[in-house]
Amino acid sequence: MSNIFAKAEPYLFLTPAFAILLIFLIFPLFWNIYISFHDVSFITILKNWEYSGWTNFVDLLNDPNFYTSLRTTVLFVAGSVALQFTIGMLMAVLLSQKVRAAGVLRAIFIIPWTISAVIAAFSFKFIFDYNFGILNYIFQQIGLQPVGWLSDPNIVIWSLVIANVWYGTPFTMLFITAGLLSINPSIYEAAVIDGATKFRSFLRITLPLLKPFIVINLILITMWSVNFFDLQLVMTGGGPLFASTTASLYMYRQAFEFGLLSKGAAAGLILIIINISVAFVYLKLLKR
Amino acid sequence: MNGTMQKEPFRNNRVWFFAERTLVYALIAILLFVTLAPLIWVFSTSFKRNEESISFPPKFLPENITFDNYKFVLTDPGLVRSLINSFIVSIGSTTLSVVVSALGGYAFARFEFKAKNLIMSVILGLFMIPVVINIIPLYTMLSAAGMLNSSLALILTFQILIIPLNILLLKNYFETIPKDLEESALIDGCSRFGVLRRITIPLSMPGFAIAAVLAFRFSWNEFILPIVLANRPDSMVFQVALYQFISLYRIEWGYLTAGITLAIIPVLVLMLVFQKQMIRGLTLGAIRE
Amino acid sequence: MNMNKKVSFTALFLIVSLIFTMTSGFVFPVSAQKKQVSLTAIVAEPKERWDLLFNTALQKLKQKHPELDIKLDYRVLPYDATRTQILTAMAGKTPIDLISADQIWLGEFAQGGFLTDLSDRAKTWGRQSDWYQTNWDGGKYNGKVYGIWAWTDIRSMWYWKDLLNKAGVNPESLQTWDGYLAGSKALNALKAQGIQPMHLVGASHSPDMWYPYLWMLGGEILKQKSGHPTKGTYWYPSFNSTRGVKALGFLKQQVDAGIKPQVSHFWGQEFADRKFAVMLEGSWLLGTFPRDQWPTINHKVGMLPAFPVPNKNTKSTTMMGGWILSIPQTSQNKDLAWELLTTMVDPSVLTPMLQKEGYLPTQKPIGEGPYAVKLNATIPYYKEMISMIPTAHSRPNIPEYPQIADSIKQAIDEVYYGMKDPKQALNDAAAKSAKALGW
Repeated sequence: MSNIFAKAEPYLFLTPAFAILLIFLIFPLFWNIYISFHDVSFITILKNWEYSGWTNFVDLLNDPNFYTSLRTTVLFVAGSVALQFTIGMLMAVLLSQKVRAAGVLRAIFIIPWTISAVIAAFSFKFIFDYNFGILNYIFQQIGLQPVGWLSDPNIVIWSLVIANVWYGTPFTMLFITAGLLSINPSIYEAAVIDGATKFRSFLRITLPLLKPFIVINLILITMWSVNFFDLQLVMTGGGPLFASTTASLYMYRQAFEFGLLSKGAAAGLILIIINISVAFVYLKLLKR
Repeated sequence: MNGTMQKEPFRNNRVWFFAERTLVYALIAILLFVTLAPLIWVFSTSFKRNEESISFPPKFLPENITFDNYKFVLTDPGLVRSLINSFIVSIGSTTLSVVVSALGGYAFARFEFKAKNLIMSVILGLFMIPVVINIIPLYTMLSAAGMLNSSLALILTFQILIIPLNILLLKNYFETIPKDLEESALIDGCSRFGVLRRITIPLSMPGFAIAAVLAFRFSWNEFILPIVLANRPDSMVFQVALYQFISLYRIEWGYLTAGITLAIIPVLVLMLVFQKQMIRGLTLGAIRE
Repeated sequence: MNMNKKVSFTALFLIVSLIFTMTSGFVFPVSAQKKQVSLTAIVAEPKERWDLLFNTALQKLKQKHPELDIKLDYRVLPYDATRTQILTAMAGKTPIDLISADQIWLGEFAQGGFLTDLSDRAKTWGRQSDWYQTNWDGGKYNGKVYGIWAWTDIRSMWYWKDLLNKAGVNPESLQTWDGYLAGSKALNALKAQGIQPMHLVGASHSPDMWYPYLWMLGGEILKQKSGHPTKGTYWYPSFNSTRGVKALGFLKQQVDAGIKPQVSHFWGQEFADRKFAVMLEGSWLLGTFPRDQWPTINHKVGMLPAFPVPNKNTKSTTMMGGWILSIPQTSQNKDLAWELLTTMVDPSVLTPMLQKEGYLPTQKPIGEGPYAVKLNATIPYYKEMISMIPTAHSRPNIPEYPQIADSIKQAIDEVYYGMKDPKQALNDAAAKSAKALGW
């Protein structure tokens, strides 16, 4: 009797979480999958949804703008993740070094992430503006040429990366801090007695213990950067010349600006596949 | 044998110690500057009168410091209402997610069961979905259930942003707690649930603290979902209400920046409050063994 | 003891609930006298104009219907969110009674079955002749009336008088392409002061600022063509005609003359802040100046009611924007919603709002009639702006328009950044647009 209960126990513990996610995530997912194989747009949503097979996916893969957006996504995500992880890790480690008022500093570092994405994007739009922006103003004051942060197709994606890094790094700091706090400090004592330097104990002890947190962190920040579009939408609208259109923004515009919901859903599904693949890669690479 | 051989005496040099301290503080200072610089203008503009705010070159110090902007934001009935809504939704959502995620995380941490990897992958996979393509189906669902413009709907919907994250976080946390502590309690006849409640959770306080901060932040900041699912004037959340100040042709800078500054405070306070929990975890950990 | 407590507690609970249900009729009386009607509206920012309009209109509506207790719940959302909200509300079959639709959304919404056909009601109303033709037609799709174009805006040329004076540029000369380019060169000295001579739109709405050049040359964005795979006769891109190429050529000339396309747009704020000496911008630019400066603004700021023309014989034109009021299909109070709508566009109700916000009317009684006097007195350059309306064009309101606009924007960008010549760029855009239109 109790054996059945014991077997069912884990599932019981998982039931609340699964129930909520089932209703609020799985139904929408199936809805999206369904419409991606049909012809659903603003003009057909109240009418018959004609079956269209793989047409939406084929159209996507035939659209040069979609490929451009994928390329842009790679740049955006790679830049964002590399910087967010490095800086966030640095922040977490620095503040775990018996620094005065570490708690207050942590709270201050988190501030960029407490602003809603739309408003952060808006602020950076002004900071980066060619004519009005504070950055170019400072540049000119110190004798440098103003930079087309948002108007130069070659630079714009990096401006977005800067904004995304400023905005999203606090998460890594928090998550890695959580990891650091889970480590039993007495472990270090043994190492110190053995004469290990701080740096070496960091490499040999801390990092391996942090691995589960690091892996999850990387997966999450990569995924969030892939899915992010608020920044691009507000700061540049995707331009100039699509240089700042990432796949996520492409998906949003197809669905909501052009009203092509099916195409947007198809793009969304491709994004999900990308995310899952990336997570897979991370897990494989780091699960040594 | 206590290895007392000082292998690298240089490291214990006072000079090195101060150099390291300086480096640490210097880096922190740089990061502090980079973090706060973009906000300085926001902060100073919140104390300027609306007409003064849009000037170029930008003035950092307001000519006449005024608290009117804050007064307006804090007394306008619509905005106050939206602030209250945000708190209700965020606190509710945080509580729910922490409870649900603790249960789920514990299951993953302690049990071995057939579908474990599958379920974990599914949950992680679901998390990968960009929120925006879910808007229409979520709306139709909630509309059919008559739950539009309700705090409860938002509390539940926001879970999709948080649960997978917190489950993974707490799972990691629980895994760092030695099993033998729980084993002995189990042998003594304690239920799994009891073990969770009395032993595991108190030892994972830092994890919970951070899980709470994360949950609160995601709920507090969310913009896209509330603007579609709850845009009746009395059910708006603060972030949505703030956006009214940004209209295409005219931006109410003073009110907007005051609102932004106020919006930062709750998460900040939460972080500060929970610092104690985080540190507590450290000492408890030391006691552990 | 425990059991007794439970029993008495339950009994108490039941009694209380019983009393509550019986007396709720008294505590929350259903108004036997007035019938409750609740109207919902989804409209786009900014909020102020709707507060003014709905306030007055609602009062009048209530006066007309003393037997009803009318409540109005209107949601003011950002532009994108308005569109998304309307779509989701329609998909979720939520009853909405009134919406503000951007003129370019009309075809899409009508085609999608979101809007009520107002043709009969409009006929009975009988005010069609009061409207400027283009504005009335803008509310129609496939020959039926789906919305009433409530107010509009036009784009014209604004300049700082002192800056032009100093550089010796005669404002009138800017009205031709050559004069415009020459003027730009003459104003180049301003760059040293951090002021750009001319503003050139490089933001997402750049097609809007290009269309006038296409139109003034006699070109069209789209033309009807037969032989469509599924629709028989349907729209086909014609913006890549020789006229289109010439029109885009003017933008190229501007770039070649050193005028930088501006990627970020601040809707006139950049002009008000004197970052530009000359700016082609919408009539809302006035809103960036404090209202108390309006009476004297024509001393400092000049306005030419025209886009530059290629030669003196060509008539100038401009592009009109603004908002259409429509009634969704899901409305359960269509008649009352229609009454509200017509009340809102009644000159006595609408004029005060236009006066305060600086918008332009779409109907002759406000544009030229008795109400014009009021607006003339308060809105700078009112007469000049009104004069542009009869010859102004508006954009197509077909469902595929956003995709077409996107292709055109890409073409404009390609010319701005020197990646393609106008002919190539427009042809490529036309190919994409044709595909989007189903050809």
